[in-house]
Amino acid sequence: MHSRLRLELIIERMAAPRACKLLEAAGLTGYTVLPALSGFGGQTRWSRDADMSASSDMVVLISIGAEAQVRAALNELESLLGSHIGVLSVGEVQVLRPGRF
Amino acid sequence: MDLAFGTLLSPMVLFFLLGLVVALLKSQMTIPEAFAKGLAIYLMMSIGLKGGVAISKGDLGWDAGFVMIWAIALSFLLPVIAYALLRTTTRLSEVDAAATAAHYGSISIVTFVAAGQATAAAGLETSGYLVAVAALMEVPAIISALVIARRGAGKTSAVAGSDRGELTREVLLNASVVVLLGSLLIGWVTGEAGMKTVAPFFVDPFQGVLCLFLLDMGLSAGRGLRNGWRQLGPGSIAFGVYMPLISASLAAGVAALNAMGAGDAALLITLAASASYIAVPAAMRLALPKAKPSIYLTLSLGITFPFNLIVGLPLYIWLANAISAGVA
Repeated sequence: MHSRLRLELIIERMAAPRACKLLEAAGLTGYTVLPALSGFGGQTRWSRDADMSASSDMVVLISIGAEAQVRAALNELESLLGSHIGVLSVGEVQVLRPGRF
Repeated sequence: MDLAFGTLLSPMVLFFLLGLVVALLKSQMTIPEAFAKGLAIYLMMSIGLKGGVAISKGDLGWDAGFVMIWAIALSFLLPVIAYALLRTTTRLSEVDAAATAAHYGSISIVTFVAAGQATAAAGLETSGYLVAVAALMEVPAIISALVIARRGAGKTSAVAGSDRGELTREVLLNASVVVLLGSLLIGWVTGEAGMKTVAPFFVDPFQGVLCLFLLDMGLSAGRGLRNGWRQLGPGSIAFGVYMPLISASLAAGVAALNAMGAGDAALLITLAASASYIAVPAAMRLALPKAKPSIYLTLSLGITFPFNLIVGLPLYIWLANAISAGVA
């Protein structure tokens, strides 16, 4: 097994394409976007059921990569999160096929 | 009074109230998200087609053109008024006030559909071109709000990862504009003969589908209110009620100036009084991401939409009748 960094970004759906573009520009080779159902943060509850426009829906963006690429992405994502609602975390994970990340 | 009771006791309003009440009571009932989005597209296609067919019968003259120009002007102007009121009567920040103002210059297509049903129930005739007016009023308010927000914030740097065309695409190619204008065009081109072939799907079940959609709107409005009411102060809540009345008064003036019939005047007044909760929130997330969606969504969907549906519609029809009688 080989060590890599796993980046998890919970971000509003409308900003997800911006985040994806930053991940690609940082050299990360892949990511997955998952829908988030509901949550609580900033003194506000949110739910996919409560917004007809789906503009305040949140998604979870997951990407695994080498440290250099993840660090490069973090610099840009920090700037994105200065404008958009989101939560970012990074953790170490073990992967089977290092050439893919 | 009969008109008010007739609207209040219509199936569409009662289904909306059912959704609103059960959501406020914390019911877990939901209408699947994808199904609700499909219903919204169905409703827009249906009214677009009907409007297009009406235009194909010669419903589009110079008078309609003047109304369209006035409607666009209203959509540009209303956010300016809304912003000034929000900044003087509430504690909303510049960016929150600008984003909220955009919602009140744009329109709610469901309120427009409900107004169409209410005017028909009141025996008033309406013109097909008002569907085009609805589509035209979607966008100018967004531009006004962005100008206001940028004047307040000064020159700001672009958000990381954004590209130049994304906001334009979202504003001009959002589902409301594309489906409404596209269906209007298809209805115009295919006319009555084309409509006959799709009437069993787009005409006959329309009212039932509208009830189903309004049940979902009630659930959304109730949950939005439950989740977001803490973000609203008394000034903001009052704004959600008096701003539609100001917009309705201005639209009534436009209707009188253009000697519009009572049905058409009622629809124009309703369009001006309604607040967007589909097209504008999406544009605001891209253009003004620092604005709090819990404020503008709760106001437009949780306060203004129920107000318009329950109190506003009979009032706007009464106002339109009064103007029409005065003009005649």
